[in-house]
Amino acid sequence: MEDLKQALKQQIIESLNLQGMKPEDIDDNAPLFGEGLGLDSIDSLELMVLLERNYGIKIEDAREGRKVLSSVQSMAEYIQEHKKA
Amino acid sequence: MMTPVYILSASAISPQNTFDGDGIYETLITSDNLKLFVKEPDYRSYINPVAIRRMSRLIKRGISCGMKALSDAGIKTPDAIITGTGLGSMTDTERFLKDMIALREEALNPTFFIQSTYNSVNGWISLQTQSTGYNQTYVNRGLSTEMSLLDAQLFLQETSEAATVLVGTFDEMTDDYFVVKNKIDYWKKESIPSNEILKHNDTPGTIGGEGAAFFVLANRATKAIAILKGIKMLQQPTSEIIAQEAIQLLQEHGVTWDEIDVVIMGNSGDSRFESLYSNALDCLSANTSLLAFKHLTGEYPTATSFAIWLSIQLFNNQRIPKNTLLQQGTATHYRNILILNHYPLNTASVLLLQEPA
Repeated sequence: MEDLKQALKQQIIESLNLQGMKPEDIDDNAPLFGEGLGLDSIDSLELMVLLERNYGIKIEDAREGRKVLSSVQSMAEYIQEHKKA
Repeated sequence: MMTPVYILSASAISPQNTFDGDGIYETLITSDNLKLFVKEPDYRSYINPVAIRRMSRLIKRGISCGMKALSDAGIKTPDAIITGTGLGSMTDTERFLKDMIALREEALNPTFFIQSTYNSVNGWISLQTQSTGYNQTYVNRGLSTEMSLLDAQLFLQETSEAATVLVGTFDEMTDDYFVVKNKIDYWKKESIPSNEILKHNDTPGTIGGEGAAFFVLANRATKAIAILKGIKMLQQPTSEIIAQEAIQLLQEHGVTWDEIDVVIMGNSGDSRFESLYSNALDCLSANTSLLAFKHLTGEYPTATSFAIWLSIQLFNNQRIPKNTLLQQGTATHYRNILILNHYPLNTASVLLLQEPA
């Protein structure tokens, strides 16, 4: 799980081009949107694409997506649960 | 006939030091590979740091150039934003199309798609300036600059109160774009340094280029640095037609050929277009100095905007950059400037600018 969260943080930084940020700067439970990292709606689409491309996970339901993308922790848990073998 | 509009400020990002350097009076930046890419300034002073991370270089270039023009004019929120681009963001378009193929049209990044649309720069500028007025982007290949200026002029003419319009152009060159255009003979086949391209006018092709230029236009003369008197746009131009249109433009604005102090020409060393301006040049007197600019910028669809920016430098400084001079005329004060430009393979334009009284 820790390795997954570390990899996920790195992928978020690269995919969203969060310049000057390192994986250790992102708290596992900090909100990704609003406060916390301050991401916006386009970033949420980019994160959906990241999950699909890197983990083969497609989120169809917007409400579920909002829950999954709330923090690195929630993303990692969802990936572990749904990742295709 | 076009009603004159007043230019309050001008900014340009080009392969030369036009944005935050020493202008084009001192240094000439050259290239040996038939490509002139812009000298990228530090964009962080002009763009929200949170937003800048997902922008491609063309988007950053357009926004920064526009914000600088507004700042120079002392305008925070223009009444309208009108731009022209021949190509839009090629980098984003190419990334999006390549991803479509590689990923079989699935899991495509939204950012590249959003920014590949032609009006992205306008959208970002309106967000930054809170400008909710008229917002338009013209994509008319070699006449995109002229169309956006014409629309700005119509907007200002229809507005009875004092109004300002941010008008801008932006185009970028990518390696893939260069390869594609090379297949239809846009560029020279032999390697020629950019500063010598005008002398090699016995073979087809020129050098590729890119750039952005923004202007704040107004319908009041206060604080004007130049007056855009008129524009003529031409399809399938010939030397005869360009001369006729130039004659008509001058007549419409009561300017004689003797009163033209400078002609800025868009000749680019391409043998196919070298004679395009000859009939118009036959009308000139010894008064007129002849200038060229495409050896400084390369060829791109909205290059006319660089010639306008250059005209404003002449009005402001009353001095011709030595790197642009083809032929020195006798005029010592530069009040009327005629721009003759073309874009391969089928458009041209004639513009008349005047120094404010």
